Amino acid sequence: MAVSLAALGIALFLNAPGIHKSATTQPPGWKRDVALALTGPLESVSHAVLLDRPRRTLKSALGRSDDDVVDTVVAAPAGAAPGSQPIGNEPPVPPKRERFTPRRPLRLWIAGDSLVIVPGESLLRAAAENRALAPDRNVEGRLSTGLERPDVYNWFTRVRKEMRTEKPKAVVVMFGGNDDHGYMTGVPPGESISSFGSRAWRREYRRRVATIMDTVTRAGAYIVWLGLPIVKSADRTRRYDTINAIVQSEAAKRPKRAAYLDTYFFFAGKEGGYAQYVEDGSGKLVKMRADDGVHFERPAGDLIATKVLEKLEERFDLTSWERSATSSAAP
Amino acid sequence: MLFPTATFAIFFLIVLPLSWALMPHGRAWRPFIIAASFVFYSAWDWRFCFLLAFSIVWSQAFAHAIHRRRVRQQRKALLAVALAGELGLLGYFKYYDFFVASTDNLFSLVGADLPLATRSVILPVGISFFTFMAIAYLVDIYRGDFAPVSFSRFAAYLSFFPHLVAGPIVRPGELIPQFQRPRDPRYVDTSRAFFLIATGLFMKVVVANELATGIVDEVFGAPNQHSSLEVLVGIYAYAVQIYADFFGYTNIAIGIALLLGFTFPQNFDAPYTALSITDFWRRWHMTLSRWLRDYLYIPLGGNRQGSLATYRNLMLTMLIGGLWHGAGWTFVVWGGIHGTALVVERWWRGRPGFVEHPWTPGRRAWHRFWTFQVVCFAWIFFRADSFADAWAVITQLFTAWGEPSPLVTAGVLAAIGVGLGSQYLPRRLPLAIMASFSRLPVPAQAVVLALALLVTSTMGPEGVAPFIYFRF
Repeated sequence: MAVSLAALGIALFLNAPGIHKSATTQPPGWKRDVALALTGPLESVSHAVLLDRPRRTLKSALGRSDDDVVDTVVAAPAGAAPGSQPIGNEPPVPPKRERFTPRRPLRLWIAGDSLVIVPGESLLRAAAENRALAPDRNVEGRLSTGLERPDVYNWFTRVRKEMRTEKPKAVVVMFGGNDDHGYMTGVPPGESISSFGSRAWRREYRRRVATIMDTVTRAGAYIVWLGLPIVKSADRTRRYDTINAIVQSEAAKRPKRAAYLDTYFFFAGKEGGYAQYVEDGSGKLVKMRADDGVHFERPAGDLIATKVLEKLEERFDLTSWERSATSSAAP
Repeated sequence: MLFPTATFAIFFLIVLPLSWALMPHGRAWRPFIIAASFVFYSAWDWRFCFLLAFSIVWSQAFAHAIHRRRVRQQRKALLAVALAGELGLLGYFKYYDFFVASTDNLFSLVGADLPLATRSVILPVGISFFTFMAIAYLVDIYRGDFAPVSFSRFAAYLSFFPHLVAGPIVRPGELIPQFQRPRDPRYVDTSRAFFLIATGLFMKVVVANELATGIVDEVFGAPNQHSSLEVLVGIYAYAVQIYADFFGYTNIAIGIALLLGFTFPQNFDAPYTALSITDFWRRWHMTLSRWLRDYLYIPLGGNRQGSLATYRNLMLTMLIGGLWHGAGWTFVVWGGIHGTALVVERWWRGRPGFVEHPWTPGRRAWHRFWTFQVVCFAWIFFRADSFADAWAVITQLFTAWGEPSPLVTAGVLAAIGVGLGSQYLPRRLPLAIMASFSRLPVPAQAVVLALALLVTSTMGPEGVAPFIYFRF
């Protein structure tokens, strides 16, 4: 008992930066308040007596110095209007159906919360069939993240960095699966969010959706935003409807630069409600949704990937090179 | 409530002293530990607690009823009803939708409609484990190997939180007798407990998570985007990941139980050093293997009815064992591969004129290598979401050599090396480490443990992925 307590006591000080970040990223509530009240002073003391040095040194050696940093900045792209309107120094609308070939493939990046992982993997597999598509081979799906809590993971910073360094021409994202509550971090000074779906919440969430869209489109890329699906919980489905409506309207403001893919009815059962097993195109009953009533199974991912490819096909010419190759190879 | 989280640490720091304080008073300790276990279980979904409670009440009621009857037929009938209740619960929550969908698709082949609809049933965590433990209790009582115990002792046995959600599958005779007498804190092997918890945390948080995020998820998610080398390393990485994940969880569970004064059976014995598939199943998930042997394979007839019946029983046991892991045909194929390998090995060793050659180092290495390859091949089906996915992995294994392999990093290879290499360490090494640790003064022990936590916490990724075996 004494060893356990002493070991945990020492470990608390050695790991104080990480523990404080964990406390910060907790869901709102009394547990978070208590955790912050305890871990804040803990981190200060640990830093004052240099007990946080071993962790920082080890993190630095692993190349993960940012792990314990809490970044809540919702950074809009340069030149973007502060509101949700994509007005200002808009980039020129890219030519309709720009042509891509295996020599000049379309760079594609897939990112979002955990919901994007399965459809993202399906999209990667489908993309392997078309050499005019060059996706980043890693689906960047991060569990328990979203646009409400940049302190948990800052997607605004991450998307900006990706657009700057990798310069994808098409971006497929899915956010909102963890955003169906009223607590937001990174809210501008003076703003307060009362509850999910309130006017203030909608305004701020709209700003965040717009920020992601603008960050992508102002870098000259096309964004396909996957809408949230119907889920087992009816309450949660209603909250997802609110999020979907915001995303859909923001995408509509950016024609030719952004597309919204409504996934809702792909996975509704015969009566229109949630169904874990849904008939596929051949009439076969297949398991579309995971046991948790939220996430996707592989057939659902494949279905979404097909629809995303259709969206990309509408926007880009990804197949004419095949016809050219076939005709030039013909005798 | 996952073990490697602050929430569990706080929960355990409250439960541990209270448990020892109440230990001398069995009548108070048992309700306390049952309540603590239900609090632990309710962290996933409080509604699941009703299932656990039902399983306890149902099993205990039938256990007494079976024990009271003297007529064998009556006992058998009661056992059948009791097992039907337990398996019915498991079947509904785990297999109902799978059964309906599979049957519906079968009917649709002949143009018929099945009058049953899927129900989107959510799988309660740990149900497979506590159902198997309840069955063990009922069958042991039916066989006369064990007498029913008091309700509180049985409830404590079935709900005891260290084993509740992912085992090990503890037999009644191994745990319930430990509830009869208060445990003595002076005889608790804390060095072993801390060693198990520290190694378990490292294997889960560092090794398993590094492999999952570094290569496995990407390779199995989109195999056709990866080179053959990445796919090959990804398959080996999954073999190590699932071992590190489950071995890590089991070590933590055993260590926690030990700190509370209770001994659990070991669940792994260096499985990737196995010389054959038969040997593998003596070393991998040992508590499940012996459950399947004692409550399925032997009741089916075991090896007592000739070669063909033995082969059938082996195959059936492994197919059912596969299905136990998940409601999917890929799991059945995984069990089928192991069943086939067990049958072939048994046939080979049983053929006339078979001579067992001495185990030279070269022969050992050869057998270990091929056993590992068969196990890894079977893991492809275990990990893949469908047969098409498994086939895509196998195809890519042979068709994309020479392409760049950025996922095969030093970190991934090191994690595979740690996971496999740790199984080849001399058995006396952990004992020597524990002995050295126990000789240290208390402050030094605390510093060593704190440093182990620091390394694990720093090297692990942000957040902790759920343990793989929780979904079974």
